[in-house]
Amino acid sequence: MLATVFTKAVLDRWRGVTIGVLSLGALLLMAMSIYRDIDLSIYTNLPEAFLSLAGIPPDADIAALSYNAVYSSYGALVLGGIAIAMGSASIAGEERTGTIGILLGNPRSRTRVLVAKAMALVLLMVLSGVVLWLAGIVSPQILDVSVEGMHIGAFVVHLGVTSLFYGMLAVALGAWTGRTGIASGVSAGVMVASFVAVGILPLVEGWEDAARLFPSYYLASSDPLLNGVDWGHVALLGAASVALFALAVVGVNRRDLRSRSVGTSLVDTLRASPVTARVAERLAGSARVSGIAAKTASEHQGLLLIVSMLMFWVMGVLIGPIFNAIEGYAADFGDVFPDEMLALFGGGDISSPEGYYQIETFGMVTPIALMVVTIAVAAKALAGEEATRTIGMLLANPVSRSRVLAEKAATMVVFGVVVGLATFAGVAAGSWIGGLGMSYGNIAATCVLATLVGLLFGALALLLGAATGLLRLAIFVPVGAALVAHVGNAMAELNGADWGRWLPFHYYLGSDPLNNGMAWGDAAILAAVTVLLVALAFPAYARRDLRQTG
Amino acid sequence: MTVTSPASDVALRTEGLTKHYGDVHALVDLTLTVQPGEVFGFLGPNGAGKTTTIRCLMDEIRPTSGRASILGMDCHSQSVEIRRHIGYLPSDLALYPNLTGKDTLTYFANLRGGVDWSYVHALTERLGAELGKKVGDLSSGNRQKIGVIQAFMNRPRLLIMDEPSNGLDPLVQREFQTMMREHVGEGGSVFLSSHTLSEVQRVADRVGIIREGHLIALESVSSLRSKAMRRVELEFGTPVDGSVFDGVPGVRDVIVEDHHVRLSYDGTMDALLRRVANHYDVVDITTEEADLEEIFLTYYREDVTV
Repeated sequence: MLATVFTKAVLDRWRGVTIGVLSLGALLLMAMSIYRDIDLSIYTNLPEAFLSLAGIPPDADIAALSYNAVYSSYGALVLGGIAIAMGSASIAGEERTGTIGILLGNPRSRTRVLVAKAMALVLLMVLSGVVLWLAGIVSPQILDVSVEGMHIGAFVVHLGVTSLFYGMLAVALGAWTGRTGIASGVSAGVMVASFVAVGILPLVEGWEDAARLFPSYYLASSDPLLNGVDWGHVALLGAASVALFALAVVGVNRRDLRSRSVGTSLVDTLRASPVTARVAERLAGSARVSGIAAKTASEHQGLLLIVSMLMFWVMGVLIGPIFNAIEGYAADFGDVFPDEMLALFGGGDISSPEGYYQIETFGMVTPIALMVVTIAVAAKALAGEEATRTIGMLLANPVSRSRVLAEKAATMVVFGVVVGLATFAGVAAGSWIGGLGMSYGNIAATCVLATLVGLLFGALALLLGAATGLLRLAIFVPVGAALVAHVGNAMAELNGADWGRWLPFHYYLGSDPLNNGMAWGDAAILAAVTVLLVALAFPAYARRDLRQTG
Repeated sequence: MTVTSPASDVALRTEGLTKHYGDVHALVDLTLTVQPGEVFGFLGPNGAGKTTTIRCLMDEIRPTSGRASILGMDCHSQSVEIRRHIGYLPSDLALYPNLTGKDTLTYFANLRGGVDWSYVHALTERLGAELGKKVGDLSSGNRQKIGVIQAFMNRPRLLIMDEPSNGLDPLVQREFQTMMREHVGEGGSVFLSSHTLSEVQRVADRVGIIREGHLIALESVSSLRSKAMRRVELEFGTPVDGSVFDGVPGVRDVIVEDHHVRLSYDGTMDALLRRVANHYDVVDITTEEADLEEIFLTYYREDVTV
């Protein structure tokens, strides 16, 4: 089974890929069954500009809407995320775990190892594409939905090639730097920025063509679902992927390999310099190890900084002036947008600044940003210390398991609040700069509810880590639960279904807090569930045997 | 069994300590004590149950039955209080790779309280540790030094150490052994789990040998060695008839060469000498004591009933 580097790379990842891709297939089936039951005439009055932007064909039908809803948003993120995770782990991952030495102790060149890892990435992308294609064919047959004129295969090809590009970007960055953090962080940043840019730039007068500079432009701009594969676009991304791989081969052969090295950060440099040593020592040295909470915070401060800055500048401040730039379009949309459609985003008027912020910032990005931070902190809090086997040393000190849990939970809460505050500050500033006149109280209310949703899923990660000590479980179950809950809630809103009340996201935007202000009842429900989950974590953690390995 | 001695009289006590993982009996009915002022060597091959015992003592895992106490306090219900008074060095030490050695020690010192930094600096100097580098960038031996310093730094009453010499060079090992002896000289205790038999032989007062989860020997090092098979060479004034050794309990492999006799013997010298001195003049006697390694191997080679 572990005959080659290639098979090992495939076997290391196949479970995660299978779960991700099958979840997407299941989501497609769910979306299709819901779209089948609603009145699609709500789409017929939408302006053409919007339809083309959203990739919805003018004669929108159930299949096209479902494919777009699931594959082009969640699908692109999931598949791109998998490719980036694989790509960044290719060489840099082996360096991080310190296994690169023993691997290259065998008669294998660096180039050959890199080729094997890249081939594994390509294979898993192809297999993922095949599964998504099959799901795209089987789902409409099960539900008896017409797919006439749909090129689902073409759409999946575009999806696969786009994801492969991001994966190869991560391979190249990992090969040149040897750092998984840089490889995955930069690639994911490029992917997210690309999604946002491709969504916004075509609407800004004079900037329409700038979207072509972003890889995600080639995912759906040619509308492959209707027009089939755009071989020019596919060839462009394919050639770029090959070029990145060639760069990776050059990079990995040029530099010294790291051996479980942790690298030198800016703070380390400042601590080493006699001029800045005293200040840096206080900030980065003694302060960050002053206690469990401070140390936990310092481990994730980079993530917190990036996410908070993204929420403040890109999703907050920038959206205000952008709304002014595209206000004409938005007003057109507003006149014809059906209420049912807007229900997806918690209601409101897209031509209003509140509605626009809801769609761009609060609908999807804010909960994701919050959950990235809360789940990362919470999952690594307990299960992470077991995975790295540091829990033994930590608990050799006179601190109880409950205290460790409480301090780490407190750090998660503080981090969630910081992201919430950054979002509030950014949106408030964006509204002020753009002269949009939004209610600061309502912005605050929405941010509070978003923070509570983020904390709820973080608390779930904390509970799972406390109860099992399994890092992967503590990460993937809350992420999966959040994904299903988010899609389910959007579908329930669209369908007017009552079962949406059982999903946390119902209590986030369900009351349209950006227009209506704080829904204290909703906030209380989210807070109560969060507190309950954290409370359950204490006995679960106190009772069990700790693992020696994650 | 009940605790009969006052709490502080015993550094560590286990009573019928047992840990099962499903059908796997990792530890079975372990009963032992470690006294103040004693280095207790805990010997056994890989997978014998040494680390399981230590993890039970540290409350990382909970015994299936039995109990353990340290300094008179229960290892589960009073584990936090216990940890104020002990130093712990786990096997295959894992530390936070992004922290420097100094950060690591500061972190644990903050959590522990009462750490005298001048003592930390003294320990650092003795072991030649590097505190300025990130732990992730240190060699395993230099990382182990950080582990040793943190175990000693709060002047604990009991040190629990699992394979502490891993990665340390011979000079540092010597210094570390001296530190352990100094520690017990000041009234402290050490529970030392090890494969390094020469080290245990050098520093331990008593040893426990564990096999497949069962304690199969528990004795002082000197008594264990005195009981063990030793090589004996006897020189007599006249040629010797080998039959004189017949029926002496513990005598094996007798080789007679004129005035000289070589044999293996497991017993007290008194019994052997009484027998031969009745028949011959003993001119000289040389014995070679078995070292711990031979004893250890004997326990594992022979099918000792467990």
